[in-house]
Parts: sequence; C-alpha cells; structure tokens
Amino acid sequence: MSTAAHASAGAAESTPFPSAKLGIWWFLASEIMVFGGLIVSYLLFRMAGPGWSAELHHNSTLLGTVNTLILLTSSFTMVEVHRAHGRGEEAKFRLHLALTILLGLVFLAIKGAEYTAHIREGLVPAKSMFWAFYFGMTGLHGLHVLGGIVANACLYAVAARPGGVARYGHRAEMNGLYWHFVDVVWIFLFPLLYLG
Amino acid sequence: MSGTTAAAGGHHGEPGGFLRKYVFSADHKMIARQYMFISLFWAAVGGYFAYIIRWQLAHPEADIPLFGRPIGPDEYNAFVTMHGTIMVFFVAMPLLLASFGNFLIPLMIGARDMAFPRLNMLSVWVLGAASALLLLSFFVEGGPAAGGWTGYPPLSARTAYVGADKGMDLWLLALALEFASFLMGGINFLVTPLNMRTRGMGLLRMPLFVWMVMIASLLFLLSVGPLVAGAVMLLLDRNLGTSFFLASGGGDPLLWQHLFWFFGHPEVYVILLPGLGAMMEVMPTFSRKTIFGYRPIIVAVLVAGALSFVVWAHHQYISGLDPRLATPFSVTTILISVPFALIVFALLATLWGGSIRLATPMWFAVGGLAVFIFGGLTGIFNGSAAVDIYIHDTYFVVAHFHSTFFSALFLAGFAAIYYWYPKMFGRMMNEALGQIHFWGTFLFFLAVFVPMHLVGVGGMMRRIANPGQYEFLAPLSGLNRMITMSAVLLLLSQFFFAFNFFWSMFRGRRAPDNPWEGTTLEWTTPSPPPHGNWPGEVPQVHHPPYGYGLPGAGEDWVPQHRPAPSGAGAGR
Amino acid sequence: MKESGAHGSPYLLIWIYLVVLALASVAASIVLPKVPAELAIYFLALVKAALVAMYFMHLKVERFFIHSLSLIPLALVLVLFLGVLQDVVFNR
Repeated sequence: MSTAAHASAGAAESTPFPSAKLGIWWFLASEIMVFGGLIVSYLLFRMAGPGWSAELHHNSTLLGTVNTLILLTSSFTMVEVHRAHGRGEEAKFRLHLALTILLGLVFLAIKGAEYTAHIREGLVPAKSMFWAFYFGMTGLHGLHVLGGIVANACLYAVAARPGGVARYGHRAEMNGLYWHFVDVVWIFLFPLLYLG
Repeated sequence: MSGTTAAAGGHHGEPGGFLRKYVFSADHKMIARQYMFISLFWAAVGGYFAYIIRWQLAHPEADIPLFGRPIGPDEYNAFVTMHGTIMVFFVAMPLLLASFGNFLIPLMIGARDMAFPRLNMLSVWVLGAASALLLLSFFVEGGPAAGGWTGYPPLSARTAYVGADKGMDLWLLALALEFASFLMGGINFLVTPLNMRTRGMGLLRMPLFVWMVMIASLLFLLSVGPLVAGAVMLLLDRNLGTSFFLASGGGDPLLWQHLFWFFGHPEVYVILLPGLGAMMEVMPTFSRKTIFGYRPIIVAVLVAGALSFVVWAHHQYISGLDPRLATPFSVTTILISVPFALIVFALLATLWGGSIRLATPMWFAVGGLAVFIFGGLTGIFNGSAAVDIYIHDTYFVVAHFHSTFFSALFLAGFAAIYYWYPKMFGRMMNEALGQIHFWGTFLFFLAVFVPMHLVGVGGMMRRIANPGQYEFLAPLSGLNRMITMSAVLLLLSQFFFAFNFFWSMFRGRRAPDNPWEGTTLEWTTPSPPPHGNWPGEVPQVHHPPYGYGLPGAGEDWVPQHRPAPSGAGAGR
Repeated sequence: MKESGAHGSPYLLIWIYLVVLALASVAASIVLPKVPAELAIYFLALVKAALVAMYFMHLKVERFFIHSLSLIPLALVLVLFLGVLQDVVFNR
C-alpha cells in the first residue's frame, strides 16, 4: 500500500519519466528482440556450420570501417543536437541535426555501393547462407537507418521554423535514443559480417 | 513531455465534422469502437469459416449449404489457416486488448485520453490496412495462405507449393502490419497507466483490468521480435531464394518453429489476460464483494508471464525437438499451472459468500471461468511430453485450445461487451436476449468441445479434410456429425447477440451513469462519456477499487472517488 | 553530465574512445590469430555498445526502470539462444 499511501496530494500520478521517453524505451525493448532474434539465428547457423570466414572476408573491411566511423560520428552529432537543445543553441541544433541526416545518407550510399558490387559479382542472397544473412541483417538495419533519417528530417522541418527549436527541440532526445540504438546494432553487425 | 499528450483534451471542444469524429478520430473511445467493429466483422468471417470446416468434417462429400459445393483438401487447409489467423490476430487481440484496453484504460485511471492519441489513431489504421491485405489474399492467384496459422516451413517457404503462393506473402505482410499496429497500441497501453493516473490513483489502486492489459502488452512487446525476424527471413526465402528454413539449402525448418513459438506461447497470455481482467471486473461487481487477493493476483500474473517465455518448445515435442529438452519444457509448462490455479481460486473466493446478481455479464463471466478451468486442466495433459506424443496434432489439442481461447475470447469477451456496452454506446442491451444468448453459447459450446476430446483420444488428426478416408475413424463419424450440429446451433445462437447489439444501439433503454452499481472510475461519468471523458474535473481517488459490501456505508458500495465513510474501511 | 563544462562537449571524449576502439578492433582482426582476434573484436564491440548506451543514451544517469527495459530483452535473447542451441547447432 506504500504506493497508494502518499498518493493523495497535488498533481496527477506518474512515473518520474516523461511519457515520450518511456514510450521510446518500450519500443527499443521490442526492437532489441527483433535484432536479437536475427543475431541469434546468425550465431546458431554459424556455429552449426564450418564457419564463413572465406565469404566474410569477401566484404571490404575498408568500406565497413568507414561506415562504422560514419555511424559513430553521426551518433556524436545526434547527441550534440540534444545538448544544443538543453543549452538553447538554435543554430548549433540545426547544424548538428543536418550533419546527422547527411552522415546517415552517406552511410546508406556506401551500403548501396557495396550491394551493387556484390550483386554484380553474383553474390546475391540466394548464393549461400552467409549472403542470406548479410543481406537480411544489413537490409533490415538499413531500413532502420532510413527510418531514422526520415524522423530526423521531420524534426529538422519543424525546428527550422521560427521558435521551432524551443517548441520541438525536446524530440531530439527521442530521435537520438532511436538513432543510437541503430548505431549499437551496427556496432555488432560490423564484426559479425566484416571482421569475425 | 510529449506535446501530444491529451491531458488537456478536455479543454478543447469536440472535433467537428463527420470524418474527424467517426473516421480520423484520435479519441480513445472512438478508436475503441473502431477496433470493436473490425473485430466483430472478422469474428463473423471466422465463424463462417468454422462452419465450413465443421460441415466438411461431418459430411465430407456433400455440398456445403451457404457455400454451394464441397471443398477439397487444398481449400480445406486454406479455411483452417484463415480461421486460426483471423480468430487469433484479427478478433481476439483487437477485441480484448485493443478495443477494451483503449476504451477502459483512460476511463479507469482517470485520464482524458491515451498518452499518444495520434499513435493510437495510426495503430487502428494500420490494423485496417492489415485487414485489407488479408481480405485481398482471398482473391489472388493460388488462393489464400494454406500453411496453417503457424505457417511452418518448408510448406510455407516455396511459392511453388500448394496454398503458399501470393496469398502467403499477403498473409505474412498482413501479420507484419498487425504486429506493427499492436506495437504502437502496446506502447500506449503501457505508458498511459504509468504516467497519466488521476490524483490518488496509485499503481496498486488501479482496477485489475488495467493491470492485465499492461502485462499483456508487455508480453507482446517482448515476445514478438524474434517472430518479426523470422517473418523477414521467411519472406526472403520465398522471394529471394534464400534457404533459412529449407534443409535442402543448409537451413533448418525447426528454427522457424522456435521463433514462432517463442512468440506464440506468450501470445496465448496476450489474449487470455485481458479476458481474465474483464472477469475480474465483472465478478466483484455482481457478487458485491471486493476481489479476493488483489496483490497476489498481480504477482501471479507476472510470474505466469515470466514463465511463458520458457515454455515455448512444448508445442514441438514431436517436431524433431531434442528429447532431452522435452523434460525441462514439460516441467516449466506444468509449473505455469501454479500461478493460474492461484488466479482461478482467487476468483472463486471472490464469488464465495457474495450476494450474487445473475445478470448477463455475470453469467458470461462465471461460464467463462468454468470453461477456462476445464481448458486449463487439459493443458496439463498436453504439456507433459509423454502424454503429448500420443495426443499431439489430434482433436484433443483442438478441443483444449478452443476451451481456453473460447472462454477468454468469447465468453469473457461477451461478459465485457454486455458489461461495458452501456458505457460505450449509452444504451442498455436487452437482458432477456442476453440470457438466451448466454445459454445457447455456453451449452452448445460444451456440446461441441467436450465430445471433441473423445474424438481426439480416438485418434482423429487435425487438418484432414475427409475423415471418411480413414477406416479407423469410421466409428467417430456419428460423434463428428453431432459436433457439427452443435457447432451450427452455437453459431446460430450468435444471431441473438448480433440482433441485440445493433438493435440496442438505437432502441435500447437509455443507460444511467452507473447501471451496475460499480465502483471504478468509468462509472462516474455520463454514458457515453463526452470528449475528454469527464464534463468537469477528473475525479480524485481515495481508496482501492472494488469497495463493495461495506457495512457502514448507506449503500453496500463505495465508489473509488468517494471518501470512505468513517469506520467502514474501504475494502482492500 | 550534459551540463558540465561551458567549453567543449563531454561527448567529444566518448566519440574519440569509440573511434579508437573501432580502429583497434579492425587492427586486431588483421594482426591477431583467429581465436584471439574473434575474442578481441566481440569484446571491443561490447565495450563500444556499452559506451554508446551509457553516455549517448544516458543510461549512466537513468534509473533502474529504464535499465530493466534494456536488460530484460537482452536476457530473453539469451534464453532464446540457449533454447534453440541444441536443436539447430548440435542435432543437425
């Protein structure tokens, strides 16, 4: 009854967390299960077979590393957007948000170039189990990157209005939580698909 | 804070225009009604398919009345697949979780709307899109999906197989959209009770229905991910030629079963818990007693929810699962009966010694509990591997899960509809028609599914279109015809409901604010509630729900928003 | 965390760590023999993910409830892995 006992005074009852943040964390919890299921399947098949190192090293470590650095940097610019909102720096908010969107687009462009090269070589999803996982995992991740870019572009559109940062800037934290999660997924996909 | 929270909803006027009010509405009460109509539409379709299935089993070679011709094995598989898919994903979840969850959470916790009203509107529209895709799949080349509601590969993994053509892709996409819809809904169902309770409404003062919807949403959010991953892999198998689930290409069909049932078992509770929650609201009100064991019930449901993540392989005992895994999964499965026994006994103890009012909602709640006990007990047979190896994929299993699903989905669902209909539509349903509906539903349900256990133990397999082909099933044909007759009568009984539902909407007696003398907050506002839920201030809460049978009070009940009379104690 | 220091962002240091760790894992995969290389790159991936989660996603200053929203799914992923391990890996 302890919850109820001191529950009579003042404002409406709630947790200490803003609704939007709570909602995005519930969403991320379910996303962990989506990518978790995919990564578990990958690990199981890899353990079951003789290993995929030959196919895996067909991937360009250079392009994978560049893309990793791009996503890590975009996470940094994204968190700077959030920090700029906290400090009321409107110009910095827009600049870093634009940089985040741009870095996301560059990531997708490099990914697209890799896809094109693979498909030209005949390394299509049906080629082998590794390529099936490669396209399945990076494809689903790429769709998430695209979703993040769209969400950030929407935020940029409203933040570009006069007074937009003050009014909508708090959304940078939600977009950021999602964007960092997508980054974390890539942090695991990179060794799984390029290095290991 | 999100700028879209509708805490201020009451201060805006009602949105104008037909489209804004009835179609593109962000009001949780209108969204609840939209979900209800979607689910009732699909319930009619699913019921019609059940009728076709049953008729085919009783009279395999004959023309099916209202369909016009007999169906072959391929079509039979399609009807079975669609019946299961529709009833689980397009009737049970929209009706219990989404419709009543949407309608009741804000009203029960004292909020003006859900935490994310526009996300809420999006969720119902995504479900509408999913429904459209599923409908479309009936009319594409190759017919609808026929791989069973579980979609097991390899049958589902190659478009060349019968019943796995374009219809199967549409089926997968419809399910994916349905999951997306319930992800959005689930986030609302979790955040709203956590953050938008009225003054005095502690977490442990919320009505149990809200707890049940929260835990069901939690289970859904945490279990659906691996199946989404599996669905992506299956779509790649079907359309890009990969072999995730095809042994011929180095894949493993068992992996799909694991991914499916890792979701599938918690999903059972996603459907069951809101139904149980409805019973937990109806029973105290109609026995004029407080619920027995409020907090133990919550703990038991949390324990059952946690256990539901470690029982999934009990669906796979004869699928080639490692036999050494069967025992641990049997143990966890049988363990899960402990918390559910606690819940059932708590509900029985709530009835014990109450001054029971036998109105239609109470009949359905008590009938639902009885059938649920019965279905739960046969689950112990299925859960233990040694017995399951004999009865797996027979009609015993079909009878078992219909006993649990039908009690949670239809008996508890009807209890909820009869109980909250006055609040939802502002008019009372007809009591006499309701009681006829109950007795028809309850008795003919038993007449269908009790003999079905015998058919199953007799060895009749699921998913066969013509039992007449098997000599050893010949002695069961009489029972099969009797089951089919009962099923037809069960379905005909639903016309009493359909008539009552639509007739009462326009001609029913006007409902007072609190027709059942309930204590929770939804009964403190007009029926139907206005936009913003309360015309004036949102009531403040002074004590736990279910303050019934209080000797000191003038009436025998104290609503949650009224301070308890001195010396009465407000129930616990 | 986010309010400290008028000049320079506290997140800059985290970003430098992340870049260094990413390059270190690439180097490890090239220099080290197979098994130590695999151990190193997955360990470094865990460290990088933890840095992003703790600092960029603010888990370091969040409360238990938010932590549990990320840890319970991870535990469930482990349960899924262990449950399927026998069937898919050893019994084929």
